[in-house]
Amino acid sequence: MSGFSAALCCHVERAREWGQAEVRPAGLEADRNGAPLSADHPYFARFIAWRRAHPLPAEDDAMPEGHAVRMAVLNEENAYWDRGMGVAAPGPGLPTPLVVAMGTPEQRERFLAPFRTASTPRWAAFALTEPGGGSDTSAFRARAIRTDRGYLLNGSKCFIGNAARADWVLVQANLDPDKGRAGQRAFFVERGTPGMTGIKIENKMGLRAYESVSFILEHCEVPRENLLGGEQPARGSRSGAYGETMGALNTTRVGVAASAVGLARCAYDETLSFARRSGAISSARVRDRLADMRRKLRAAWLMTLRAAWKADRKIPNVVDASMAKVFAAETAHELATTGMDIIGLEAGAGECLVEKLFRDAKALNIVEGTGQIQRIIIARNLVGLPR
Amino acid sequence: MNFACNETDDILSETIARFAAEELRPRLREFEAAGSVSQDLHTRFEALGFVAVDLPEDLGGAGLGLTTRLQINRRLAEADAGAALALDRLGPAAYVIEAFGGRDLLKRYLDLLAKRPEMRVALVIDPDVISAPKSSVRGEAAWIASGCADVLVGLGRAGAWLLESGFVIEAVRGAALHAAGSSRVRYDGRPAHAWHDPSSVARALAKIRLYYAALIWGVVADAAGFSRRYALDRVAFGKPIAHHQALAFLIVDMHIVVERLGLLIEDAARRIDAGEDGAADAASAFIDAIEASRFVGPNAVQILGGHGFMRDYPVEKAMRDCRALGLLGGGLDAAQDDAGAGLASAKSQELAA
Repeated sequence: MSGFSAALCCHVERAREWGQAEVRPAGLEADRNGAPLSADHPYFARFIAWRRAHPLPAEDDAMPEGHAVRMAVLNEENAYWDRGMGVAAPGPGLPTPLVVAMGTPEQRERFLAPFRTASTPRWAAFALTEPGGGSDTSAFRARAIRTDRGYLLNGSKCFIGNAARADWVLVQANLDPDKGRAGQRAFFVERGTPGMTGIKIENKMGLRAYESVSFILEHCEVPRENLLGGEQPARGSRSGAYGETMGALNTTRVGVAASAVGLARCAYDETLSFARRSGAISSARVRDRLADMRRKLRAAWLMTLRAAWKADRKIPNVVDASMAKVFAAETAHELATTGMDIIGLEAGAGECLVEKLFRDAKALNIVEGTGQIQRIIIARNLVGLPR
Repeated sequence: MNFACNETDDILSETIARFAAEELRPRLREFEAAGSVSQDLHTRFEALGFVAVDLPEDLGGAGLGLTTRLQINRRLAEADAGAALALDRLGPAAYVIEAFGGRDLLKRYLDLLAKRPEMRVALVIDPDVISAPKSSVRGEAAWIASGCADVLVGLGRAGAWLLESGFVIEAVRGAALHAAGSSRVRYDGRPAHAWHDPSSVARALAKIRLYYAALIWGVVADAAGFSRRYALDRVAFGKPIAHHQALAFLIVDMHIVVERLGLLIEDAARRIDAGEDGAADAASAFIDAIEASRFVGPNAVQILGGHGFMRDYPVEKAMRDCRALGLLGGGLDAAQDDAGAGLASAKSQELAA
């Protein structure tokens, strides 16, 4: 890999070795079983040990790339080996940027610090989506009511990654419905809190390596200090309100785009290998299709990198990030689909990696803002599409 | 990895964009009707110093590389791709002369062009040239985007030739790019130079494809921008048509295609400027340009509806121009052959920045 610092390339190489030896087989095992690896699966203990030995790179002179570019490069490599296992990786995961950006110092210490020293696998989760509303956040019905002791939560959440094995779930609920979406806040719900019931691990088409969980909050009471950002956010600090939550989540879009590129690259490599092995590469039609896959893959990667590069320089990148997310996700699915055409019947036999990627990739155009939502975001900027 | 423009490129880009907006765009239909641009416009353009901007300084160029050249093509084509072709009297034939004949031969023709303001060099892609012609070359090209030529350069699969005589230019109506002129060329003559060197073919063709791809980039960028602005002004059912989601999404997709194309063109050009083999990447960028032209051109017309079909607006011209540009440089099929040529042996995709 040229164009990146030697230090970053070294991390990518480590991720590649780990991915090939551990992540890919684990992802295939989960897919065949139709269920995530159990939380006590030895893979996760090995993951913790590997992560300790190879901590995520810190920005320094040896690695001049900014945080967003580094994470894009590593997300791409990790997703190449298995996107689902990437989401299933132990750690605070998706809510991390929210807690870092909006949590009080006490909350950051209480909820994030244990992950830094954990010798056994631990997870956290972020619960936003509800059965009656995914993209339309104004349709969310989860409510929070202030009580003498804290907050009483009621509502339903669905498709929440890692929630059944999480130490805590950061749950979005409306504290002030009169304000509409602006009344939404986030609450830490710790495992075992009474009232968090009906936990169901969904049976998915793809990305089976991590659990997507639905649950019900029934008079689920959490203490006051579990309100993200606190009841009276310090002057000038972020309050944890809806708009800021969405803003923080926007930063994850480039990461999803990078994951889609990794998945697309895997589909390309696997298809190319098949075409060479089978002799199909001698057909001009097959070569044209592979060249087309390669072109779109390259374009998706350049779009993703540019969005990350702008983020690192604090250059507004809302349009770039949404373009990268929608184009990379659609490219991943297109490449896996075309790959199946080239591979033919073998892709229908149930043991073909490209067929798994075809199922996995579909989710990337749905999660963290569907392709349609990304287009709405871009259109707001391009043509002032009204909200 | 760097997505920043350097200051020189920014200044150049701004200057050329101003020239294009002030000198070319208002006279779009005038050039089209005349089938050429005026000599005084040539003079003013060449005075800006953009001719041969990518060639080394000792050849009278600015030594700024292919990336800069392509930005100029893009900016000119945003105003009028036909005029962009007309203003470049040596055109992409320069890449053939440089690749096969070297800097001395290129300098000779640059000097001749400087002395003779009306001189033109035209390029034909002649796939039949598979070895250096021993005596004469013979054939025809049904259309070149030029109204005249004093030198004809041919590029084939394995070699190239240069004719200073022995060819006939015959005006044809032309489907697009009218400002550059439209001709059929028949040639039957003994080349002043003939070469056999497949690696030089690949080098020259990569630059030629990017040259045309950058023109398409300019046309589709302008068509996407023009139709976006139109959709914000035009009101239907009580709101700007851009605010109807079907059109909003179409406009978004058109802009994604334009961005994608620009990234691929610049990526390939950077590789070539860095001395890497950019043949497959250039072929891919050219294919992407054709794909972009197929999507953006007709949809820009579609957004304007009946108005788009009329010559009162520039989008019908954009649709024709970008389609025609994709026929040049050897066309789509040859580019697909080259984009896929290395797949049987190349390493797996490496996402190098």
